[in-house]
Amino acid sequence: MVFALASLGLALLTAGCVGDQRDAGAPIVLRVAVWKANNPEAWNEALARFHAAHPGIRVQLDIGPNSSTQLHDLITQKLRNRDASLDAFLMDVVWPAEFAAAGWALALDEWFAPEQRAAFFPGTIEAVSYQGHVYGIPFNTDSGLLYYRSDLLADHGLSPPATWPELTSQARRILAQQGDPRLTGYSGQLRKYEGLVCNLLEFVAANGGDLLEPAAPPAIAAVAFARDSIVHAIAPRGILTYDEQESLDLFRSGGAIFLRSWPYAWTILQDPAQSQVAGRVGIAALPAFPGGRPAAALGGWSFGVHSASRHVREAVAFITFMTGPEMQTHFAIQAGKAPARRGIFRDPGVLAANPHFADLLAVFETARPRPRTPIYPRISHILQRYLHEALSDPDSPLERLARDTQAEIERELATLRSAG
Amino acid sequence: MSGRQDLSSRQDHRRAEQVDLGRWATGLLIALAVLVSLGPFLWILVTSLKSPAQIGARPPAWLPELDLSFYRAVFGQHDFGRYALNSAIVATATTLVAVLFGALAAYPLARLRMPGRRWLLGLVLGASMFPQIAIVGGVYRLLMRAGLLNTYPGLVLPYTALTLPLAIWILASFFREIPRDLEDAARVDGCGPATTLFKVFLPVAAPAVATAAILVFVYAWNEFFFALLIMTDPARQTLPVGVAQFPGEHEVPWGDLAAAAVVATLPLVALVLILQRRIVSGLTAGAIKG
Amino acid sequence: MDHRQRRFGCLLMSPALVLIVLFLVLPIVLSVITSLQIDNPFVPRRFIGLGNYARLLSDEVARGTLGFTLLFVGASVALELVAGIALALMMHQSLRARGLVRAAILIPWAIPTVVTAVMWKYMCNDQYGLFNLLLYGGRIEFYQAWLAQPTTARLAIILADVWKTAPFVALLLLAGLQAVPDELHEAARIDGAGPGRRFFGITLPLLRPAILIALLFRTMDALRVFDLVYVMTQGAPGDATNVLQFYGYQKTFPEQQYGYGAAVSVVVFLLIAILGLMAVRGVGTRLFAREGE
Repeated sequence: MVFALASLGLALLTAGCVGDQRDAGAPIVLRVAVWKANNPEAWNEALARFHAAHPGIRVQLDIGPNSSTQLHDLITQKLRNRDASLDAFLMDVVWPAEFAAAGWALALDEWFAPEQRAAFFPGTIEAVSYQGHVYGIPFNTDSGLLYYRSDLLADHGLSPPATWPELTSQARRILAQQGDPRLTGYSGQLRKYEGLVCNLLEFVAANGGDLLEPAAPPAIAAVAFARDSIVHAIAPRGILTYDEQESLDLFRSGGAIFLRSWPYAWTILQDPAQSQVAGRVGIAALPAFPGGRPAAALGGWSFGVHSASRHVREAVAFITFMTGPEMQTHFAIQAGKAPARRGIFRDPGVLAANPHFADLLAVFETARPRPRTPIYPRISHILQRYLHEALSDPDSPLERLARDTQAEIERELATLRSAG
Repeated sequence: MSGRQDLSSRQDHRRAEQVDLGRWATGLLIALAVLVSLGPFLWILVTSLKSPAQIGARPPAWLPELDLSFYRAVFGQHDFGRYALNSAIVATATTLVAVLFGALAAYPLARLRMPGRRWLLGLVLGASMFPQIAIVGGVYRLLMRAGLLNTYPGLVLPYTALTLPLAIWILASFFREIPRDLEDAARVDGCGPATTLFKVFLPVAAPAVATAAILVFVYAWNEFFFALLIMTDPARQTLPVGVAQFPGEHEVPWGDLAAAAVVATLPLVALVLILQRRIVSGLTAGAIKG
Repeated sequence: MDHRQRRFGCLLMSPALVLIVLFLVLPIVLSVITSLQIDNPFVPRRFIGLGNYARLLSDEVARGTLGFTLLFVGASVALELVAGIALALMMHQSLRARGLVRAAILIPWAIPTVVTAVMWKYMCNDQYGLFNLLLYGGRIEFYQAWLAQPTTARLAIILADVWKTAPFVALLLLAGLQAVPDELHEAARIDGAGPGRRFFGITLPLLRPAILIALLFRTMDALRVFDLVYVMTQGAPGDATNVLQFYGYQKTFPEQQYGYGAAVSVVVFLLIAILGLMAVRGVGTRLFAREGE
């Protein structure tokens, strides 16, 4: 009797909350999971325009933290439970393979034809592809860049370095001659987090190496270079705790000659209210290693559709809208986000708001994605451990660490192949 | 005679000196303790009142310019008033339900002859020792099937379940201390078990009830991980989730974050200030009987 | 009478029990079952018995996190007890501003863990951190990156936890303090015992039950520490501040290895349960020994 009462109570609680969302004629509600935007106005306007163009659909955003890992926690929790309340979501550049292999993201081939894909940067399309199908439409793109103090380089008659060794020697020279104890040579993101993999990808790939083979000589040499010539030579002590925020703060308060960061930093650095080096900053592609080509880590986000969504057509309409030329221009101007569509970079309005985009075009064309594997989070964790340990200790036994890491990576990749 | 008097007066004098020194030292220690306890919070408060230009200054400034722009942003742009409301609703509802169910469950455990009650209490306490990470999956699935995600019960029910063991334990310990005469008197007056519980027990157990209520409220207000996963609709999110969302895409807006942190904490700080006597007496008086 | 009492008792307990079973026991059972499987989104789920646990035994990173977890528990609980006793003594004093002092001491406990983690992270910041400001003033070239080095990062996490929980321990101990009769102190004072002798000879022994309870609670909670690590360091630098529960989270959420992550959680639970059992044997049975059972 008691338990009947209790279950009745619970059922009442439940019933009070479910309540069917729509009766005939009411708009379809699309739930889209995104991160918390720095400028909600741009998003509000985008949604308003979508609602005007599609009166039968209402989009409701599920907001998660800006941290990629935390948003990943939130979204995957819904996906693995096939929570039909999620229709579409943003995907970080390293998620599509995982979502595709798990059957969470819907293949979008029929709505996103090859001709349409050509309008986007090749790296971004590569990032949303898995085993011959596409699982997302790129929304914005990001890539590693080199920022430098144009005044300091000019004072010493230097032009932006083309190779990493050139960068370190320029830094050492300037540091010696400036004699300013608050100045350091290099700022970047070497904390033990995803950003570390991006930063080191740029060293390793530029040296002809592959992050999935850390024990190969080019990879080891690249890591050794980063450790000996950057971290324990010209960089500040705290660089191993820096993420984007701290590394930018150092540079914008005049504390570093070079900064490796993402395009977003440009507007901040040029704003006198936020930066003490406004007007004295230049941007360039990241250096290469002698005889090689530069490598920039690809970042950015794309939109995907949940395979268990009950409103696939509407979800596709939404993400097509958000990644269409109109919205890409809108976000590029309002939010300073680098669009994934190449053509937008020639739009005069966009260039007026972001003059540096002209320089970025070439960089984006050659940006390289991180290893595309469904178990990227595991691989990333393994790489983060290895890289951070390797960089932290000036005497770290690189060969041994790299060998162990590679063995571990291969073991993990093997678990995917054995289905039984 | 006089020698002895001299001796004792000298002893008194020395003891008085010791007491003075003791009082000084104690006062200093207490001041230090207060400073350390409040320091971090005051620092965040100061930070939240700085102007945006001051935030990036190296070295950081001690005194803020008393600029409210971060608070305006937090309440305006980031809608923290809504988060505060959600936290208040969830925490209050959890407290009411947990204390009610807890009291109902504690009474039989403390008073009635129930078989296997020690095992029951052990099971309940044991369940509460399980790491929350492991529980999230099952809870999420249950809430999803019941359609309770992004609803207030979606948080209130798990929170209640997680705080019930502690609440039951506190209340049961206190109930046991209540003299039997009260119940016997009630029974003589013709009260059934139900009336005894509500009219006699609960009023007497007020300190323990208050204690349990405070502990549950603080827990529900501060809980983070479940809230992060269960409440994704901004209209329903709670303060800790709101604070955790702040680290922007590439940079941490420390000013905004500081203001958010203050907003998330101030209600509880106020609670502590107002109820400190009740908190202290409740937790010390009835709850812990070693 | 007994029958009616039993029925009534069941009725009263049912709401609590239903909730506990639904939201606590069932998820735990599910978790334990998952720990016996290979469960990830990429291969078919299959039962492997104790395979995950065997893998855990040879997992170096897991061992490291266990090591730090134990270090964390030992250090923070010890410090919390010492600080708790000191704070309890302070709250026990009859001062004019007693209310304010008590409130001030209690505030760290009332602050959400997320906020505590953010505050401490900010204080440890190597450019605007309060610690750097206090230690080095305007000489920013000396500023340390406290969260970059394993030792100081671990210290920071431990101190943050101690700061946050010492008030709660103090409250638990205050109960014991208030139970110490004043006459004992008076008698000792007349006999010429100084404050130190009185503390160690009288107060401390009588505080023993309260200390044991505080020890029990805090140990069980410290073994499960998660929010602090999640927001403050995410286990960094390297895995220096990674604790077992966070490792379990990493396996379950970011890495989608549900079976393995569940196994880690079960191990954490077993640790807590063992410690809890040991303590309950010593302390708790007295709680139930009164009513004729």
